[in-house]
Amino acid sequence: MTQPLSKSIVIWAMVIVVLIVLSAPTIVVLGASLTSGNIITFPPDGLSLQWYAKIAMAADLRNAFLRSLAVASICTLIAIPVGTLAGIALSKYAVRFEHALQIYLLLPFTIPLIGSGIGLMLLFGEWGLLGQIWPIGVACCVINLPFMIWAVTASASSLDPDLELAAANCGAPPVATFFHVTLPAVLPGVISGSLLMFILALNEFLVSLLLTDARTVTLPVQIYNSIRSIITPDLAAISVVFIVCAALVIALLDRLVGLDIFLKSK
Amino acid sequence: MTSQAEAVAPRSSLPVAVSVQKVDMTFDGFQAVKGASFDLAEGRFLTILGPSGSGKTTLLRMIAGFQRPSAGEIFINGVPVSAAPPHKRSIGMVFQKLALFPHMTAAENVAFPLKMRRFDANTIPERVKRYLDLVQLGPYADRRIHQLSGGQQQRVAIARALVFEPDLLLLDEPLAALDRKLREEMQLEFRRIQRELGVTTINVTHDQREALVVSDEVIVMDKGVIQQNAAPAQTYRTPANAFVAGFIGVTNFLSGKVVAVEGANLTYEAAGEAMQGHWSAPGAPQLGATVTGALRAEQIRLAASVAELSACQTVKTGVVTDAIFEGERIVYEIALTGAPGTVLRAFDHDPVTHKQFAIGETMAMGWNARDVLTFPN
Ligand SMILES: Nc1ncnc2c1ncn2[C@@H]1O[C@H](COP(=O)(O)OP(=O)(O)O)[C@@H](O)[C@H]1O
Ligand SMILES: [Mg+2]
Repeated sequence: MTQPLSKSIVIWAMVIVVLIVLSAPTIVVLGASLTSGNIITFPPDGLSLQWYAKIAMAADLRNAFLRSLAVASICTLIAIPVGTLAGIALSKYAVRFEHALQIYLLLPFTIPLIGSGIGLMLLFGEWGLLGQIWPIGVACCVINLPFMIWAVTASASSLDPDLELAAANCGAPPVATFFHVTLPAVLPGVISGSLLMFILALNEFLVSLLLTDARTVTLPVQIYNSIRSIITPDLAAISVVFIVCAALVIALLDRLVGLDIFLKSK
Repeated sequence: MTSQAEAVAPRSSLPVAVSVQKVDMTFDGFQAVKGASFDLAEGRFLTILGPSGSGKTTLLRMIAGFQRPSAGEIFINGVPVSAAPPHKRSIGMVFQKLALFPHMTAAENVAFPLKMRRFDANTIPERVKRYLDLVQLGPYADRRIHQLSGGQQQRVAIARALVFEPDLLLLDEPLAALDRKLREEMQLEFRRIQRELGVTTINVTHDQREALVVSDEVIVMDKGVIQQNAAPAQTYRTPANAFVAGFIGVTNFLSGKVVAVEGANLTYEAAGEAMQGHWSAPGAPQLGATVTGALRAEQIRLAASVAELSACQTVKTGVVTDAIFEGERIVYEIALTGAPGTVLRAFDHDPVTHKQFAIGETMAMGWNARDVLTFPN
């Protein structure tokens, strides 16, 4: 494989440009968070970790972050059983209402989030659920569940149907077959789906904006509220913490199932 | 019929392990299995042989309990099993694509049926080891499935199917995917293990050689119907009908109208020539009826001239259209003189000393009337 030099130079140049464009916002925000000055600026005005110290002290930011973690956890805990069962059922059985389910799976791309957000806000308001954390987790789960179902379906559709018959032949009743054979086979999809759900819920902004109030404000909403008053470097610092969280989740995913599986599971 | 009853006697002295009675299977109006009935005695090795799509897998899956017969009943050790779900049947199965559990090691795969069938946990490791040794996989116990070769995976599947000492072992063409050498090795392996354990076995294949090599009994199936149920040599020597004659061995077919009948011997006119044959179906041949004669390639004697074949009752000549040197034999395709379009296949089993005829040369072919098995059309 000898390529003309000019061709490889062009390819490398493009790769570098893409990398710079993709990582520029991250680099800028990282730089801005390290400033020793009082205004948010890039390149930073001297280096210091003072804004990190400040956000560690700021109770409202910390609480908002913890609430975001809680929302993401609730969302993931609901998505795992629901999404796993739905994904397996969808790929294996001729499910009734299959058509309706497929439309549901396309919802994230078709219904504007603001629409789902207002709908959920009206519903939760009616039921008197606003002002609590868990309904926000449920809402994030409802909106993003198709991603979980997709991840599981991709794993489940490559499952050899004879495997379950083989388990039965080995003497395993249906429930044991599910736990010993079906579930391990779709586990990569379940893991990648649930980590995806976690990140999506952690970052969720628009729907949370409509569902939260002063008691339940999550981190993205908190940041948004702060921007509206005054932009200080602590917002850059909290953004970096956020990015690090997402990076950790991706590293975890790579360790557990390998990113190639994740990328293939759509 | 008395002679047949005597031939069966040694079989029936053993208790019947599997009895399939008038079993039908219909998928949306398509009959995959029609009126299948057979009994299999304990410890016997039965092979169901048939072309792809003949209903072999369907029959096996009904016995395993994955599908319910549309009609009829299956008995295992005298007990009707249709009501029992697959996990309550004492049947080990080796699947066509093996269906080993990919997330478990070889040993875990073999231990799985023992755990599911609640064997005493203390005895499981010893038993797993014993069965892995039986299939010569002892050193590979802790390998993952994808770290094993095709032949080794095969052996894990066998060990998994046998480890809980099932009443019945089912094999669904597990060797089809292997290369020829490994396949023949595994056929003998199946035979050895089956003899060693004495487990009643039903094997499914479309490979006629495998059926003849490994089995005590052969059932030939076509289009969902059992065509013949007999010992391997009997299936080969006295096929029940033209389909069986054509499916097993290399067979030439010559059909025509009966012109003379003398007991079981008859003369019919095929491709413009008189042909002597032996009636091989129930009843008697009728004058004027159309019949098909089946003549095995290896029953045809070959020579350079008609004079050399004076010992044969029927002698014909033909022109060689193809000659294939296969090592242990030469396969000839010979166009019958005076019968355009009729090509016979014949073997020369001594390619070392015999001269090989070239394409275009004229040869003499000879056979006897009893070699032409004649069936109604
Ligand atoms: N689940 C099914 N639904 C519909 N048709 C089936 C099903 N299983 C098998 N068949 C049909 O029944 C026939 C016999 O199939 P099978 O038993 O698999 O044949 P074999 O194993 O001899 O190749 C085939 O024509 C096949 O298409
Ligand atoms: Mg089959």
